[in-house]
Amino acid sequence: MTTSAAPPPSPTNGASKSDAAPSAGSSRRGAPARARRRADTRFVLVCLLPALALFAVFMIVPTMNVFRMSLYTWSGFSPDMRFVGLDNFRHLLDDKQFVRAFQNTVALLVVVTVVTMGMGLFLAAIMTRQRLRGRNLYRFVLYIPNVLSVVVIAAIFSAVYDQENGLLNGTLRLLSLDGLQQVWLGNQKVVLYSVAIAMVWQSLGYYMVLYMSSMASIPEELYEASALDGASPARQFFALTLPLIWENLRTTLTFFIMSAVNLSFVLVRAMTGGGPDGSSEVLLSYMYKQAYTNSSYGYGMAIGVVIFAFSFLVSLLVSRATRREPLQF
Amino acid sequence: MRRSLVLTGAAVTVLGLLAGCSAGGSGSDSGKTILKVAALEGGYGRDMYTRVIKEYEASHPDIDVQLQISKSIEDEITPNMKAGRYPDVVVLGQGRKAALTETLIKDKALEDLTPVLKEKVPGEDTTVGDKLTEGIVGNLNTDPYRTDQTYLMPMYYAPTGLFHNKGLFEEKGWKVPGTWDEMFALGDTAKKQGIPLFTYPTAGYLDSYFFALLADVGGERFYTDVMTYKKDVWKSANARKALDITTKLLGYAAPATVGYANEQDFTKNQQLVLDNKALFMPNGTWIVGEMADAPRADGFQWGLTPLPAATTGGKRYITTSVESVWVPSAAQQKDAAKEFIAYLYSDKAAKIFAESNAIQPIESIASSLSAENAEFYKVYEDPKVAALVGGFASTAPVEGVDIKATLFDTANSIISGDTTEDKWQSALNEASEKLRQAGS
Repeated sequence: MTTSAAPPPSPTNGASKSDAAPSAGSSRRGAPARARRRADTRFVLVCLLPALALFAVFMIVPTMNVFRMSLYTWSGFSPDMRFVGLDNFRHLLDDKQFVRAFQNTVALLVVVTVVTMGMGLFLAAIMTRQRLRGRNLYRFVLYIPNVLSVVVIAAIFSAVYDQENGLLNGTLRLLSLDGLQQVWLGNQKVVLYSVAIAMVWQSLGYYMVLYMSSMASIPEELYEASALDGASPARQFFALTLPLIWENLRTTLTFFIMSAVNLSFVLVRAMTGGGPDGSSEVLLSYMYKQAYTNSSYGYGMAIGVVIFAFSFLVSLLVSRATRREPLQF
Repeated sequence: MRRSLVLTGAAVTVLGLLAGCSAGGSGSDSGKTILKVAALEGGYGRDMYTRVIKEYEASHPDIDVQLQISKSIEDEITPNMKAGRYPDVVVLGQGRKAALTETLIKDKALEDLTPVLKEKVPGEDTTVGDKLTEGIVGNLNTDPYRTDQTYLMPMYYAPTGLFHNKGLFEEKGWKVPGTWDEMFALGDTAKKQGIPLFTYPTAGYLDSYFFALLADVGGERFYTDVMTYKKDVWKSANARKALDITTKLLGYAAPATVGYANEQDFTKNQQLVLDNKALFMPNGTWIVGEMADAPRADGFQWGLTPLPAATTGGKRYITTSVESVWVPSAAQQKDAAKEFIAYLYSDKAAKIFAESNAIQPIESIASSLSAENAEFYKVYEDPKVAALVGGFASTAPVEGVDIKATLFDTANSIISGDTTEDKWQSALNEASEKLRQAGS
């Protein structure tokens, strides 16, 4: 819940534009204008101060601490912290469980991002363009999972995945597809995808609503014109809709990657606890286990640094790879 | 004018925020000594603590006991502890996810409680040490550094073992197996009738199983060697035998076991035993209360047996789960804390605890057991059965190594066929060796 409630960061950087405009040609009126401007700046700074103070205390300082602690061996309580340099990171390379958690995180990121984005776009396009009857109801139903608590989601999926009388295996039996039945949370090759399905289910509605709102703002004339030219709905989607909401898509993509890292942790913790035998462990759940259960706080923080660097890097790459000339309508 | 108002407003907001971060001062002006007690609200409930504290305060008017009790007590006291405000007495055992007790043991941040053993129980003539049942202190659970100093006082104890439906055994005319050969023979018989021999709630519940099995197979000496990470102990014949037995037993596991062995679904595995869909599961006496409202087969009756003996007529150990009470060395009221702990072993307190089924390891307890509990605690009366307390010895933390996870969680992979016994054995040896090096 924590991640999806926040609005996506604004893609534009409008702050720098605004103060450039009035500075030109103010030489004659000189001193009073400058004094007013300085007073304005001071006023803005003072207004920003509370927010900046909070940001520093609750974001910057803890983040710096994570980086600092990753260089120590520390249990979390004792006064004696031992500086070990990069030893914690060296251990990470030999730690098979860590490597496995890393692979799982990457797999979840790729699968969940692609599926959620793809389905979100598809559903949004259908609902806005095809004027489906009862689309408000669909939107409502699809959005509901987003407001549920993770514990509730875990309980729902425990009922869906139940190997004996669960919804999924029951349906498969009904369709005489007994061979497809699985122990969804017990089979080590399947369990990660079972978690992925729950993640998609949870976040699909949110992104669908986001895309719907940006698609709704595309002028209708464009579609009418292209229809006159004989464009099929599929062609319209790829040639019109997609390019026109591209900036919105980029923003949500970056945002989604970061939230998926968090969501995978809470869902794994509630649904499987990383099991069976570590096969659904993700980076954050492994970090928790090391920092607390195994009393290796410094090592846990080293994993935290890796997560930070990883999500930062992926977001950066995605942002670079999807850069296009913005289209306007 | 307006601007200065805004400025003042902003300044007040910032100050307010900062003030909100600092904690309110402690208000102890009544002249009484304030004793802060933190306890885990486990299966026994919270009522018994308030009653014991009430009794204590009545006989000690100069002490004000402040109880903090919660199902996740670690989350509540840890932030304060990091800020230097420690509780004086903590009732919290090992084996919890947050591992607070283990962390403080590794940090050597616990107060030496050996003097409490020599102290007289308030209002009584005997010392605490004399009142405790034999063998309950002086093991790795209470003396984690393998010295003769007790840092964790044993608070409640409960036998753990194989729980089963006594009614079903009577109905079918089966005998509860005394050796592993009989066990597997029963497994084959039951299989023909469609009942799997074994299940476990989650792999973590195998702790009681493994500790007893290791002692059964190789004796207490071997058990201690494993718990203290003796070099190459997992390569020994005894270790192999224990893993052989386990692998064979896991072959008889109910097919549903692994799929349900997580925190969300573990009660479904426990339900298998209630529904006669599995014969045995490792568990503790709390299972009775935990599954009290669950549906069950006709004639169901809880039974508890120690693990089968490794050889005919061999000694059988029963892992005894012991919850502890301890004092952080950073506590402020250490003397008052020690006296309070001594009081917890008084007859009055023990009676109140026993009414909530929290059984303390003191000599006179047998008379205050309820009928159902008496049945469970009877396992200790068999001369061939011995209590086993403890667990893996504490070492400095080793990054990425958790031998409990390696020993227990791998059972899931053995059942599902994702790993082999050989790989299990070598992983155990590797983890044990790393811990040995950290301990020495």
